[in-house]
Amino acid sequence: MKTTILTGLALALGATAGHAQTIPAEVTEPVTITFYNYNLSSAGNGAEATKKMIAEFEASHPNIKVEGIPVSPQNFVTRVQADIVAGQPVDLTQMGFNALDFASKNLGAVALEDIIPQAEIDAHLEGMVPNGLELGRLDGKTYGLAYTFSTPILFYNADIFREAGLDPDAPPQTWEEVKAAGLNVKEATDALPLATGIYGPSAMDWLMQGVVRSNGGAVINEDRTQMTFAEPESVEAVEMLRELAKLGITKNLDITSQMEGMAAGNTAMYLQTSAIQGFLVDGAEGNFDLRATTMPRFGDKPVRPNNSGSALVIHASEPLKQRAAWELMKYLTSKRGYTIITSEIGYLPLRPEIVEDPEYLGEWVKDHPLLQPNLDQLSVLEPWVPMPGPNYLQIATSMMDAMEQATFGDNDDVKGILEAAQTQAQNLLP
Amino acid sequence: MTIDATLPGAMPRPARRARPARWEAGIGHGLMILTALICVFPIYWMIVTSLRPENAIFSTRLWPDTASLENYAYALRAVPIRQMLVNTFIVSFTVTVIQLVTGILAGYAFARWRFRGSALFFGAIALTWLVPLQVVMIPNYLLVSRLGMIDTLGALILPHVASAFAIMLLAQSMRSFPSEVIEAARMDGASHAHILWQVIVPNLRGTLASLAILIFISTWNEYFWPLLLSRTPENSVVQIGLQMFITSEGTQWGPLMAASTMASLPILLIYLVLQRQVIASFMKSGLR
Repeated sequence: MKTTILTGLALALGATAGHAQTIPAEVTEPVTITFYNYNLSSAGNGAEATKKMIAEFEASHPNIKVEGIPVSPQNFVTRVQADIVAGQPVDLTQMGFNALDFASKNLGAVALEDIIPQAEIDAHLEGMVPNGLELGRLDGKTYGLAYTFSTPILFYNADIFREAGLDPDAPPQTWEEVKAAGLNVKEATDALPLATGIYGPSAMDWLMQGVVRSNGGAVINEDRTQMTFAEPESVEAVEMLRELAKLGITKNLDITSQMEGMAAGNTAMYLQTSAIQGFLVDGAEGNFDLRATTMPRFGDKPVRPNNSGSALVIHASEPLKQRAAWELMKYLTSKRGYTIITSEIGYLPLRPEIVEDPEYLGEWVKDHPLLQPNLDQLSVLEPWVPMPGPNYLQIATSMMDAMEQATFGDNDDVKGILEAAQTQAQNLLP
Repeated sequence: MTIDATLPGAMPRPARRARPARWEAGIGHGLMILTALICVFPIYWMIVTSLRPENAIFSTRLWPDTASLENYAYALRAVPIRQMLVNTFIVSFTVTVIQLVTGILAGYAFARWRFRGSALFFGAIALTWLVPLQVVMIPNYLLVSRLGMIDTLGALILPHVASAFAIMLLAQSMRSFPSEVIEAARMDGASHAHILWQVIVPNLRGTLASLAILIFISTWNEYFWPLLLSRTPENSVVQIGLQMFITSEGTQWGPLMAASTMASLPILLIYLVLQRQVIASFMKSGLR
């Protein structure tokens, strides 16, 4: 089945490849583009903000009509694949960073440098965080612009900290301090000391990549040809997590239970994407003092948080649609776009200048201090590296399964477990 | 069947036997009440949660301190639940009718006619029951796309026009139908259509009612196919609407429970209306 679909995709994409033309300077005739978006597939702020941005864009670009297609994040790639094979137009997508490599090779994702004049790209990217731009680059080309993305931060319940005799104004900054605080919490309260979004079926590998990288390692080498998650730095990071688990500071709970435990006020610390801030704030309101700090580091090593979330990717093959998709992409990643994304959905602005600007986020940031740790991490942000090839999901899954087993299983041989899984994952690389 | 016509008190039972009987009855009733409470509690909790404000959603109190219908209002605002309920009803009702008709026709053919390859065809139909929907989802998607039916209710119905389960169940029921009755009808000159619709189908009402309920509920709960197919909430079904409150950034439990309560009401009403028929069919099957 997979082979058939990929063959169909190749034919469908190949049929259009030969007709590459120069992109027009502007859209002078009516055109409709599709925008595959997973925020639209949910109810609430994400969908409302997306509809608002599309409406604003259409008002300022009367020739361009945007058809927002809601697609759930769980079957996003499958749906884009199926629609391309079915001949449905797929022009712009909100693609998860982990699928970026697959999209570039199998879903007709177009590199900006291949269709947009370089001067125009440079003009638009001016003012964006350089680290943030790297998130959507693969093999030296820009396939995606960071759209809704966030970093991992350590939420904590200041009330539980006080109950455990800890200073809520001096939250843990290193994993050693997390361990010490966790032991205090365990001793003095009934709360779960630490929950994380590292493990679980929907967690993927983004947060683990940041943990390993913060210890100086990487799960895959730079040119993405060798898996490296059994290297000493990675083993050490997993051993640290194993120690926390053995001490009873963290437990292997379902990812949703952990999130809800924090929102219900039953957890002291929670390492997870800042994107869930709104959910936690709703639970904490009137119940407990919710605060946040940056992701813990390993001793003196610099913290290396990486992003979760999605990028905007152009798939359109017709020059007119490419221009229309690029115009929409520019709007969504403009100062106005990031203002809406940050203030109404809860993600990060890739343009730090708007944070201080009262015309954009200036006033909003003053009222929302939980955003600050996230902003602090923007300058040290690292990309969530996508696994290469059509087996990208299996590679990440086998790696994460092994790491989970090494953290919570009975076998103390962390290195052995990771080495076995690394050999298996290596065989799945293209 | 016998009827106990003894008047209460007319023939008192020995005291030695009466006490254990009351104990037994008491224990039996206690267990039944406990079982009923266990069954009803999730529904009660769903309704109570739908009435709680967001910051009290994880409260374990049995009744919300401040009950409000805000979650219902929000669910109706955020997702076109009413339209989705109408769509789901149309799809479920249509699929139920079509599957019953195709099941009756195919079941009759397999039960009453001897033709070359009938066992092979029946086996092939039985085998399709073993193929999960996910396996054929993408080919089906390509087919409905080529038919120009993407984002239509027709596409939600099309892959479900025949059901292996319905055909097998009805074929089996028709095989066990008394052949003397059919022979008598044939001797009176009745056609196959007459025998099927005037003789057999009226006598299979119980089986058809329980099958209809099974088909209706399974179509009502269908999730993956509408998930792949729908492009707009207005043309989708209620299960997709419920999923819209579950996101990786957190689940909106209050509105989700409000929408779930609204979504379960039609099924509950249908069950209440057909309850007697369903129980009768189950009893009949049990006695047989």
